[in-house]
Amino acid sequence: MWRFIGTRVAMGALTIWVTTMLVTLLIHAVPGDPVQIMYAQSQGTTPEQIEQVRRSLGLDRSIPVQYLMYLERLFQGDLGNTIRGGQPVLEVIMQRLPNTLVLAVASMFIAIVIGVPIGFLAAYREGTIVDIGLMVLAIAGISMPHFWLGLMLLFFFALELGWLPVSGNGPMNLILPALTLGLSNAAIFARLTRSSMIDVMNQDFVQTAFAKGLPKAIVLRRHVLRAGLLPVVTMMGLQFAFMMGGAIVVENIFSWNGVGRMAVEAIFQRDYPIIQGFILTFSVVVVVVAIAVDALYAVLDPRIRRA
Amino acid sequence: MIMNRLALKQTAAALGAVFALAGPATAEDIVWARYGDIDSLDPHRATSTLSLQVWSLMYDTLLAMDAEGNPVPHFAKSWTANDAGTEYTFNLEGGVMCHDGTPLDANDVKYTIDAAFDETTPSLTKGSWGPITAAEVIDPLTIKLTLESPFVAMIPFLADSFSSIICDTNGEGFGTTTAIGSGPWKLVSWTKGDRLVFEKNADYTNFGKLADNPGAPYEDGLIITVVPEPQARYAALTTGEVHIAEPPFDDVPAIKDSGELDIIVAENTGQNVFWEFAVHRPPFNDVRARLAVAHATDAATAISLIYGDLSIPENCPISRGVFGNDQDFCAQYRPAYDPEKSKELLAELGYSMDKPLETALLVWTGGNRQKLGEVFQAQLAEVGIKATIEIMDIGSLNARVRQENENTEGTTGSMDMMTWSWYDPDILYALWHTPGAYRGYTSPELDAILDETRVLTDPDARKAKVQEAMKYLLENAIHVPLYTPGWEWVFAVRPEVEGFKVAPFVYPIFSDIKIGG
Amino acid sequence: MGILSDVPTRSAPHGFWRRLLRSPNGVVGLTIVLGLVFCAMFAEVLAPHNPSKMGTGGRFLPPGGDFFLGTDEFGRDMLSRILHGSRITLLVGAVAVGISLTTGMLVGMIAAFWRGWVEAVLMRSTDVLFSFTETLIALSFVAVLGPSLQNAVIAVGVAGIPFYARTCYSAALVETSKPYFEASIAAGAGPARLVFVHLLPNVLPTMIVVATLGVSTAILAAAGLSFLGLGAQPPTSEWGYMLAGSRDYINRAPWLMTIPGLAIAITVLGFNLLGDGLRTSLDPVERR
Repeated sequence: MWRFIGTRVAMGALTIWVTTMLVTLLIHAVPGDPVQIMYAQSQGTTPEQIEQVRRSLGLDRSIPVQYLMYLERLFQGDLGNTIRGGQPVLEVIMQRLPNTLVLAVASMFIAIVIGVPIGFLAAYREGTIVDIGLMVLAIAGISMPHFWLGLMLLFFFALELGWLPVSGNGPMNLILPALTLGLSNAAIFARLTRSSMIDVMNQDFVQTAFAKGLPKAIVLRRHVLRAGLLPVVTMMGLQFAFMMGGAIVVENIFSWNGVGRMAVEAIFQRDYPIIQGFILTFSVVVVVVAIAVDALYAVLDPRIRRA
Repeated sequence: MIMNRLALKQTAAALGAVFALAGPATAEDIVWARYGDIDSLDPHRATSTLSLQVWSLMYDTLLAMDAEGNPVPHFAKSWTANDAGTEYTFNLEGGVMCHDGTPLDANDVKYTIDAAFDETTPSLTKGSWGPITAAEVIDPLTIKLTLESPFVAMIPFLADSFSSIICDTNGEGFGTTTAIGSGPWKLVSWTKGDRLVFEKNADYTNFGKLADNPGAPYEDGLIITVVPEPQARYAALTTGEVHIAEPPFDDVPAIKDSGELDIIVAENTGQNVFWEFAVHRPPFNDVRARLAVAHATDAATAISLIYGDLSIPENCPISRGVFGNDQDFCAQYRPAYDPEKSKELLAELGYSMDKPLETALLVWTGGNRQKLGEVFQAQLAEVGIKATIEIMDIGSLNARVRQENENTEGTTGSMDMMTWSWYDPDILYALWHTPGAYRGYTSPELDAILDETRVLTDPDARKAKVQEAMKYLLENAIHVPLYTPGWEWVFAVRPEVEGFKVAPFVYPIFSDIKIGG
Repeated sequence: MGILSDVPTRSAPHGFWRRLLRSPNGVVGLTIVLGLVFCAMFAEVLAPHNPSKMGTGGRFLPPGGDFFLGTDEFGRDMLSRILHGSRITLLVGAVAVGISLTTGMLVGMIAAFWRGWVEAVLMRSTDVLFSFTETLIALSFVAVLGPSLQNAVIAVGVAGIPFYARTCYSAALVETSKPYFEASIAAGAGPARLVFVHLLPNVLPTMIVVATLGVSTAILAAAGLSFLGLGAQPPTSEWGYMLAGSRDYINRAPWLMTIPGLAIAITVLGFNLLGDGLRTSLDPVERR
């Protein structure tokens, strides 16, 4: 088990390391000059001053040196300053990251609470009209663009009915964005749970249990549920990454003050330090969650636990 | 139909309130929602209107502006200038306090000006201090400013929030987490991307800012929140979550008809939205190509489609409310809407419907400007100009326009719907005097005219010069004015809010507000 | 019958079409997709008006009457815009998936075929990119290249590569471990023959299913970018962009929001159903 987790951690570290390199290269791939963008609105800045700013950012050095400087600053918790307003990027991100995480976790909760029972029910009634109906619903759910679902929810619950507030970051504000993200992903969980449960039910040990005449409910509870939910747990890591990605759109619809809204604003503003910081933060979060999920999986799956 | 919808909304809102789902804000806090956040609390670190509006609430300025946009005494109660116009001495009001309890005096003014001209961290807004070379503290209530050359716009410059006075007790974290000023509102906290929280400065004395209230604000607090979606702001207004916000433009007539909210449109914004072109390469290095665009543009129809009657066409390169503006004068020289004329010019240049003039059309995000751009794009297509819209943030737009001007290669043109607001015609100097804010069109002839506008002390003589510059810009289709105002100028206000007004150049005032009176 | 008896035929599995046409999902999906292709091919003929012509009708005319799907804020005919939009949507899906599929298959097959350090380098890089998530890759690309429909398509295409590479790699691994493959090597077959005659035809069915489902993912992703303003620019009648533009008129003209959204949903549903039908008909490995 420790070896399994160790491999995952090493892989995660590799990912983050590659991210830091890509993020440094990113600024060189963009057309235009970030310092020029920074002072585009200023009338009185002399070329000498611009050179000086460039030097202080290390943009006059070779790329490997810049990378080392970037790493050095990174280890000091310095992600640079934003182009618009000169704010420390780390602070700008840290004020918003908790909001995105709360949104992702709440959506995940909704997705599981809705998706898993539906999948289980469909598997239990495999081949019946219930199963077919639920799976049609699920495929429709997967096909629903979440930005559209979000707009419709906003339209009905916030604008037409006025039941839910539309600004701020309180618990009431969380409902609609979490529902938007959660519902789209519930469909994925439902499908996954169903196919995994059916797989397990067709396995020898379950068939044997049925053959022994144990009541269906007991077999399901004792054998199928646990084994069938394992793949669902593995999917949680990937799903979390999807949620983080989906949050980018949903945050923009519902004025949720998370890193996704920040990132889109930053792309429009060509605020590269924020974009760099966002990419790095995003990949760190995704990697950490993936490792945590893998560890949970390792604990739950006896085969890995014993290894 | 719309009435029914509104009625449904009100019922639903009431229902929501019963379930305490959407609780209104606490009675003593004014809540103002805007589409975006400030960039910085430091007046030297940002240029956006969103930032300026906030600075005007938390800082004082040496001078202030009256309702017509003329400079009046504020923190400086009087001033004198030497005959050459290169030295200004200001006498300051005594007893003014910073939010941290220290006195605001000449040392703070010097501190601010020194910071603005600091070489190590270049200020973005240095230009707003004019050609100042030194600030000297004569005594705590007297400060002398020395100018490199005479500059008639110095006085109006000092009345704008770009020239806000920062208290010299500001240190670590200034602009990011803290900011000490002396204005009517005192910063409590700033959650980036979400909200700014202010409490009233109970010790405030208003000397010259445009407000009826001579002292501290009536309400205890002010919260400025970020709600990017216009429809969400509208919903927040109807539920009472927010008191003041920019409504969706298309819903304004319905809001007015229903009377559920008051609509306040800012006057004397000085905002000018205009076409400008990358003039150092074809096709727009030829005045005929620029005139073709100008003649093909029907600004009146386009803005009425997008903004209804909230905006009006503007004939001058400096808008209504700014010294020198004269609609009749400019109308003589501004290329009028005339698609046939435009087609003739394009034909002269060898373009036709089959071989259209190709150009990028740069527009900045928000305020439905991209929709307006879409209308203009269709108008240009009518005469055979193929414009490709690119939407970007204002900061990127500024950088991009400069890049386009520096690019002398290629045959694809670039034009942009630029927006500027300034309280003095000196903006024309910044934009079009060598080297030019965007490295765009310049000429020795125009330079000479603009130089004069900076030194002529006699208002009539200056006005004549400013108009000469405008005539030049219009005839050569360098700065083709489209409309005014252009951004953040419409406010929907809840009925229980009394005393809300907007000062010239779109500075909302909250000191006079009483809620629920 | 020898050891080579398990060499699969290159044509579709026996009874593929019959099975596809028997699966309700497949039939509905195929119908939707074919309908879309029809709309896209004949958009010029089918569309009653010029999709970017303003003032075709009054502003905000509700659906029904002279304008079947109503008009938008500029009086443009919504039906014509939707029809022309189908062309963009299909093109976006095809190009993005084309990028992911070709590059992904190349990487996957090379890794499975050459093994050794090539495999290690390729598959570890794929793993790293995969953990980046598609959204982040797409967003980074747009951040660098700048917002435009073309860049959004490239971004979505590139973002999909790791997934396609992984899937192709596992499918190819299955083949290379089969006895006939080893026998071919023993019989002296060259790499080109092995890859193009044995490997490619056998991973193709799996990849077709993945690609069909992938079109829906790509369309959603690109529409999402356009919705955020990071994709299609005006006056394109791209559905995601149209949806974004409808937000200001929710109160006045809700159909401007419902119609493009519905169009996206139906298209995506079509590809999902078709992919599902193909999967059960071809019976390759389960995806996800």
